[in-house]
Amino acid sequence: MTAAEILAEAGRRLPGARCTADAGVAGAAGAAGAGVAGAAETVTIDVPRQDWLAALAFARDAAGCDFFDWLTAVDEQDQGFAIVVHLYSLGSGQHLLVRTLVPREDPALPSATGLFRGAGWAERETHEMFGVVFDGHPGLAPLLLPDGFEGHPLRKDFPLAARAAQEWPGAREPGERRAPVRSRTRLVPPGVPEGWPPP
Amino acid sequence: MAAVDLPVPRRGGTAAAGTPAPAGAISAGAISAGGFSLRVFDAGLACCAVEVSAALRRCAELLPGGGAGPGGEPGTHGGAGAGGQAGPVNVLVVAGTVTDKLAPLVLAAYRDLPEPRRVLSFGACSNSGGPYWDSYCVTKGADQIIPVDVYVPGCPPRPEALICGLQLLRDTGGEQR
Amino acid sequence: MTEMDLNAAALPPRSRGVIGLLEENCTVCMLCARECPDWCIYIESHKQTLHVPEGGRPRVRNVLDRFAIDFSLCMYCGICIEACPYDALFWSPEFGYPEADITALTHERDRLREWMWTVPPPPGHDAGAPPPREAQAAHPGTSPAGQPG
Repeated sequence: MTAAEILAEAGRRLPGARCTADAGVAGAAGAAGAGVAGAAETVTIDVPRQDWLAALAFARDAAGCDFFDWLTAVDEQDQGFAIVVHLYSLGSGQHLLVRTLVPREDPALPSATGLFRGAGWAERETHEMFGVVFDGHPGLAPLLLPDGFEGHPLRKDFPLAARAAQEWPGAREPGERRAPVRSRTRLVPPGVPEGWPPP
Repeated sequence: MAAVDLPVPRRGGTAAAGTPAPAGAISAGAISAGGFSLRVFDAGLACCAVEVSAALRRCAELLPGGGAGPGGEPGTHGGAGAGGQAGPVNVLVVAGTVTDKLAPLVLAAYRDLPEPRRVLSFGACSNSGGPYWDSYCVTKGADQIIPVDVYVPGCPPRPEALICGLQLLRDTGGEQR
Repeated sequence: MTEMDLNAAALPPRSRGVIGLLEENCTVCMLCARECPDWCIYIESHKQTLHVPEGGRPRVRNVLDRFAIDFSLCMYCGICIEACPYDALFWSPEFGYPEADITALTHERDRLREWMWTVPPPPGHDAGAPPPREAQAAHPGTSPAGQPG
């Protein structure tokens, strides 16, 4: 299916979806299907949470994007977590991004392992890094983090403790002998949220 | 762009084959001189492993008596030395980032190393955590879990820097920390 | 060949071995310490007031007390050298400086000055490179390729 066809079909079959086509992932990776009309464009399909599996099934069966590349999450802070899946069609060279939003208070989503077995490890990693729960996953155990690790490190509110604990050499002003202890004008190093660590 | 033919670094211009090395030249064979011989075990954890492989491969070519010694380890110069040394010193080269998940394995590798043993930390990541010093899952230096004898700085260090580090190991008398 | 001769000066141009500090150029602007992603540059300084004898306005300048680079942390990215507005930091291709003690990998001012004597002259422009901005500014009206008009 070309990008235009996918857009048309998605609009028909997934009423809640919002579809766009741009250079996106295909542009970054180089036009894999140069010469095939529309293949250089990445189609992005944004669906609400309840249409997640329907959108993935549409992408695999109707749009022909049967190669599962990666699944990850983006911490959109107040809006929740955006789960993104990159699919690819080996036949036509079409790139497809399927996205959804889950709220922060209830980060649950049906597992994609029923449609793509390769999503197993990707969902385990997304679960341990962001705390998103994938219902129906055969074994949602931590994958990369050491045993006993607490917290979800890739969330934006997970600060890097070493950066706050270590004195930043750049906190001193030129001509100053020692860094000011707790002054209003104290520079905060990049990567440390304002007011962290809490007093 | 045409491939660049990088010459092997030389001291003071090109030397014809067979000419004696100028005084003060560093040689891989000299590491084995004076009764001090090494058996190098490379814990290649990340990118620094590529540089260590390049250095050890060169060592195998340059050490007198041929390439791999008994047991097939590259860099071995077999036999006991005249200086009263019991046998080759086993050197664990930790090259690459020591993550929290991998730290127990590095510790196990050190514990399984027979005496006499030394540890050489190769690269910024195993010296102190390096670029990943602020990460949530990186051990800030191999010396957090095992005693390190020599630190080789770099990111990654040149293969020749490993030779310099092994030389320092020899020159400090191989005293274990 | 049975010898592996090591000569840092024969390495490719702009090889990154170690960083040297030319203290005379440093104005203690702290940009290198702030931009360093590893936080491995330690700078301490104080302000000094210079009185002009003829009764001019007294000038205040920064005096460097401590400038240290911790090479156990350094990842040799070169951001400090690029960020320095006064050309006080330079790359040197020297690479053989292992230590048995990790604290000795923090090089202080005197050792960083010693590295300066190993800094090679800047390499010439590569063939086909556009002329430097200073030359373009000196001869306005020439295109970046060097052709007039």
